[in-house]
Amino acid sequence: MEWCLRNTGEKILNIAYDMKVEAEAFLMHNRELNIEVANGKVETLKQAEEKGLGIRVINNGKLGFVYTSDLSDRALKEAVISAVYISKYMKEDEHNVLTSNNQIYHHLSLYDPDIEKESLKNKIELAKEAEKAALSADPRINIIEKAGYEDNFFTSVIMNTNGLTASASANFCGSYIFLVAEENGDAQNGFSMMLTRRLKGLSPEQIGKEAAFDALRSLNPKSITTGKMTCIMEPSVVTRFLGIIASMVNADAVQKGKSMLEGKIGEKVASDNFTLIDDGLCEKGVGAFPFDGEGTASSRKVLIENGVLKGFLYDNYTASKEGKKSTGNGQRRSFRTLPGVGTTNFMVKPGEKTPDELISDIKRGFYITEVIGMHTANPITGEFSVGAAGIMIENGRLTYPVKGAAIAGNLADFLKDIEGIGNDLRFYGAKAAPTIRIKSLSIAGD
Amino acid sequence: MLEKKLLSRVLERAVKKGGDFAEIYVEEREINHVLYEDKRIERINHGMERGAGIRVVKNGDTGYVYTNDLSEEGLLRAADTAYHAAGEIKYMDKEIPLKVKEPLYSFSVKRHPKDVELAEKIGWVKEADEKVREMGESIRQVAVGISDVQKKVQIANSDGELVENEEVRVRAAANVVAYKDGVMQTGYEAIGGTSGWEILNENSLNDLAVKAGELAVKLLEARPAPAGKMPVIMAAEAGGTMVHEACGHGLEADLVQKGLSVYKDKKGEKVASDLVTVIDDATLDKKYGSYVFDDEGIHGQETVLIDKGELKGYMYDRLAALRDGVHSTGNGRRESYQYKPVPRMSNTFIAPGKDDPEEIIRSTPYGLLVKKMGGGQVNTTNGDFVFEVKEGYIIENGEVRELVRGATLSGNGPEALKKIDRVGNDLGFAIGTCGKDGQGVPVSDAQPTIRITGLTVGGIADEGLPGIKRIIRK
Repeated sequence: MEWCLRNTGEKILNIAYDMKVEAEAFLMHNRELNIEVANGKVETLKQAEEKGLGIRVINNGKLGFVYTSDLSDRALKEAVISAVYISKYMKEDEHNVLTSNNQIYHHLSLYDPDIEKESLKNKIELAKEAEKAALSADPRINIIEKAGYEDNFFTSVIMNTNGLTASASANFCGSYIFLVAEENGDAQNGFSMMLTRRLKGLSPEQIGKEAAFDALRSLNPKSITTGKMTCIMEPSVVTRFLGIIASMVNADAVQKGKSMLEGKIGEKVASDNFTLIDDGLCEKGVGAFPFDGEGTASSRKVLIENGVLKGFLYDNYTASKEGKKSTGNGQRRSFRTLPGVGTTNFMVKPGEKTPDELISDIKRGFYITEVIGMHTANPITGEFSVGAAGIMIENGRLTYPVKGAAIAGNLADFLKDIEGIGNDLRFYGAKAAPTIRIKSLSIAGD
Repeated sequence: MLEKKLLSRVLERAVKKGGDFAEIYVEEREINHVLYEDKRIERINHGMERGAGIRVVKNGDTGYVYTNDLSEEGLLRAADTAYHAAGEIKYMDKEIPLKVKEPLYSFSVKRHPKDVELAEKIGWVKEADEKVREMGESIRQVAVGISDVQKKVQIANSDGELVENEEVRVRAAANVVAYKDGVMQTGYEAIGGTSGWEILNENSLNDLAVKAGELAVKLLEARPAPAGKMPVIMAAEAGGTMVHEACGHGLEADLVQKGLSVYKDKKGEKVASDLVTVIDDATLDKKYGSYVFDDEGIHGQETVLIDKGELKGYMYDRLAALRDGVHSTGNGRRESYQYKPVPRMSNTFIAPGKDDPEEIIRSTPYGLLVKKMGGGQVNTTNGDFVFEVKEGYIIENGEVRELVRGATLSGNGPEALKKIDRVGNDLGFAIGTCGKDGQGVPVSDAQPTIRITGLTVGGIADEGLPGIKRIIRK
């Protein structure tokens, strides 16, 4: 497949040379399998295969972009012509630069042949296992909304007229389950998931049990009274907040005046114990890859170190604007989009304490297990106000479940109010976080 | 697009081994997007994509395969794989001649995206940006984006139906950031429709952007929203995010059948106040969620979901309809050939009532008036929802007082619908991209001005608001 993609990339570069423009071909081939089971039977089995191409041309400093899934010679030619046509409408910008060809890529172990070799039949069994484990955990688990197994194998090739050729493949597999526990007319959701690079590391049984535990502990909730209190957030909830924080350390947002962290490098923006890292080389996370969507080598960056803001994430364009080097964060979601600044593996450095130790001295607090509406938080102002569910903490112990609460605040205060970090780092896809403790959050209830 | 004969051959191959139902969905899509930001063209995106999704259903289980290899060989291989996915093999031969299914209505496209030059579009966004920046120093950033999608589809199935359809959708949006004295606020406006560019002339794009700018500037002066339970009036102009979240998702048949909806087993029962009628209607002219055929080749239609408070029915796609022994309501939708269809909303709204909107406000002693909503989310299993208020005002003694920011509303679908005690005679639409099962589809939603007697407003808990405290203590 790599050979086939490189061949197409060469054709693009040749057409570009003829038209006297700089160009970059981003080619991707992706194969995925998703098995969804219900009641011990396969409900949906989806297999997909797609190839596609995204072309960037730079025509005297003007950028043109086009994508196509048609890789025939005629379509390739038309695509480059369209990209050049579009470029004529763009403003000349010296910061439109393609990656130079002197990149040194780390060798990363991102491919597990076992995932490819495993039979479909066994993969179906893996999908069923999560469901089985959840159902046998407790009789109150009686609805499985969705349980499944998935895997993904992709190859990415980037070639440009600077003479750069980058190509690599990776795969991963995962297990997930969404379920409902019911008791006395009350119904509560439970969820768990795991993505891993090694088939042997996948434990659908653990996923099923975790989701069951998640739903059961939420049954028969009470409401909470409005006020401020100390909160504990589970890793999954912290990763939801990381999604918003990611857009504040993005150099593109910073340069456009859309981040509240603008101009704060070297300043204290979070509590002493908070360290935030973006690591494209951490093989454990699914965000690892030797290079980014522009062919720049991936790296590890400490963004916030012991509370002090150290730097932002850059792609070629934003780096050029500040006379810096790209940090290898020019990310693409697919061949359909231009590269833009994005995270690789985005993580909070774990601390020393166990989650129990973080809770033990809280007289009255809120242990947050779920937030809804996180996408409504505002990365520009830092304001958030989201729905929350969890468990009440009384005298250092988790007591009764709570639902229908809303938590609100500003991320600037939130980061400074982190007073404890757990040792239980957990990956959710390409984000990872431990349990954290927040000194005080505003909670709205009844 | 593909030849009829080839479509037949693929379907024949897909059911050859005993599938109950097979379908091929072929899609050709062209997208164009222009984004103006930071006083320059930030991005122009042009894309062409072709692909096919093949589905084989056997005993209610689905095998789905998609590919962008549209050669005969590629499609037949995909058909084999789809079958393999669906279950055990049992050979049978069946010829599937295809008959074209005619549309029942059509949407006019007056200014087809093909007829609008890139230079003209750039002129629109540039002018809109300038108009917003004229508002003054506090405007920190402006982003104006316009996009159009032209989609050609062929949907053929083993029942011998063939649908060939073309769809054009356009969308424009403006996002403005305002800044003053360390406070930053944003305003956002969007319009869109199943339509050509006639829904937008240059002036209305300017108006849209200026409106977003005005909100951002106004919010700079707003104080944080109060927290607690209080009556909430939602103005018609706020659009129908509430109805979309509070009941729409829970009335999608797949969720109901899986026991994941708070509305399961409630057909014929009272689920809302007498004043509430909820309709999903794909046939509305030029609305963003409208379509002539759904993505399974079923005619779009109007479906009454709740009639005067009584639950009438759910939204179905083919598969869910088969399970319940009913007909599809034409709500089987998919984001693209990469996804299997699932029951989805189109244009969903609460039907207008009889009350004068102004009088509803006058008769409210205290509460929150919502003029603009943001995004939302629902837990369909228990009906809990939350959504963002972009523009909200305090109501005191029947009068609209100051703007507040940072509010969210959380509540429970059926409870909120039962608490609707006033319904206005107006109707306002909003557009959005609705996400479910990882698929985004264009929808619109609408409502008249309504009053809900009590919803939890989650703002910043502020001790200094006597009016609010009173409500909390009840």
